[in-house]
Amino acid sequence: MSTPKAQGRGYQRSWKNLLINKEYQLRFTFLMVALSAVLLAGLGFWVQSVAKETTAVGITRIRGEACPKVPEPVAVQAPAATDEPPTNVAVPVPDPDSVGTGSGTGSADAAGSAAPAEPQPKRSRVMIDESSITMTMTLPADFADQVVDHWKCEMRQAAAIAELRRGENKIRLVLVLTSVFLIIGLAIYGIKMTHKVAGPLFKVSLYLNKMRDGRFDKVWNLRKGDQLVDFYEHFKAGHAGIVTLQHDDIAALQALIAAADEVHKATPLTPDQLAKVDELRALVAKKEKSLA
Amino acid sequence: MRNEPLPSAIVTNDTGNTGGSSPSNSPRPKYKRKLSNFLIDKKLQLRYVIVVVVISALIAGVLGYLIYQQERQASAALDAGLEAYGLGEVAQDLAAKDSALIYKMIAVGVGLAAILALFLVIMTHKVAGPLFKVSMYFDRMAVGRLSVVTPLRDGDMLRDFFDTFKHMHDAVRERQSSDVGQMASAVESLRGQPGLEAACSTFEQHVAERQKLLN
Repeated sequence: MSTPKAQGRGYQRSWKNLLINKEYQLRFTFLMVALSAVLLAGLGFWVQSVAKETTAVGITRIRGEACPKVPEPVAVQAPAATDEPPTNVAVPVPDPDSVGTGSGTGSADAAGSAAPAEPQPKRSRVMIDESSITMTMTLPADFADQVVDHWKCEMRQAAAIAELRRGENKIRLVLVLTSVFLIIGLAIYGIKMTHKVAGPLFKVSLYLNKMRDGRFDKVWNLRKGDQLVDFYEHFKAGHAGIVTLQHDDIAALQALIAAADEVHKATPLTPDQLAKVDELRALVAKKEKSLA
Repeated sequence: MRNEPLPSAIVTNDTGNTGGSSPSNSPRPKYKRKLSNFLIDKKLQLRYVIVVVVISALIAGVLGYLIYQQERQASAALDAGLEAYGLGEVAQDLAAKDSALIYKMIAVGVGLAAILALFLVIMTHKVAGPLFKVSMYFDRMAVGRLSVVTPLRDGDMLRDFFDTFKHMHDAVRERQSSDVGQMASAVESLRGQPGLEAACSTFEQHVAERQKLLN
């Protein structure tokens, strides 16, 4: 027990008095919190690894689902002003950068691109020799739908991956928050619960100290909400037993002293006997004082 | 503490003879920790256990739900595609894996709660044990008996409180022993006095009774 202080009958619970029996309360709470922390750390490690693995597998699964590709546009030769039959020539999608710069040097570019060691084999070569040709880009009829489908798929996948990552972060956050909540909660709960046990024990300790000093005062009831009510009843019964013992002793002593006094009137007692009777009187006084 | 009266077999003195309201000549059984004795004070002990177990189960449940949701989310993205390609078996495997995760989480939650519960039962037992023992002595005191107080078991808590109790018990016992000695001495001196025989005889019975209670 911590240093006992006078405890009035109107004792109220207070945060300052929460640690009545530091050794018992802190030991109990610390052990409970420490075990919970160890278990939570294990659980957290496992949960974290499962969440990580699940997220990684989920992302792989999502990425493994192929999205429809965007179709390449096809260039079609439109009917020319010449009598020659039109030839379909596939041309690549024009480079936006080269469109602006190359427009002014049409023939030079064409001549330059006519080199035999052309590194881009797919690029079509159009030879223009005093005639003109009109190139018209043609697209499949469902080109727009295919592009939309492609990007919808891409965005759906990106959203699903982001959602999985959010989920993983949420699990981590919940794990940390619940761990903090459990540890702080258990610490507070442990101290409060042990306080409800330590409170009655403290009160009983005060009475025990009085009994040790030979004082058997009236025993008061516990506070509302205290635990160990039954234990306290046992204590009260024990206290009452000792009080009864004192009362019975006093009654027996007084009866013997009264008888001795009566006899002494008729036949005087010896000085030794009188001294013994005086001792008994002192004993009665001591016992009566202990009950006051 | 218990609501029912203490078991009569436990109300014994330290010489092996039972006393109080349950006399018997059977020797005092040496108390040992046993699984069946771990819940000495059910009300006190289970209150802690239930609260901590419920909190742990809640935490394990929330985490399990989140992980399951995560797993399900990853699987759901594929389920529709797998069904469309006629790969229902793969989808079923994924669902089975998700279910296995639930069982794992349940097992982890139950394990967590069980370990905490067991730990708390043991811890509260170490508190309830000394209280039970002190209660037994209080019950003896209630019938006037002041026998010798034996020490606590290893690992028990509330040692300070028990020491306080023991000091009180020893002091009261010592004082009572001294008083009985004084009374015995007085009655010894007065016994031969004519006219005091009856009073002395009654008083001697009283002293003998007190001496008996001190054993």
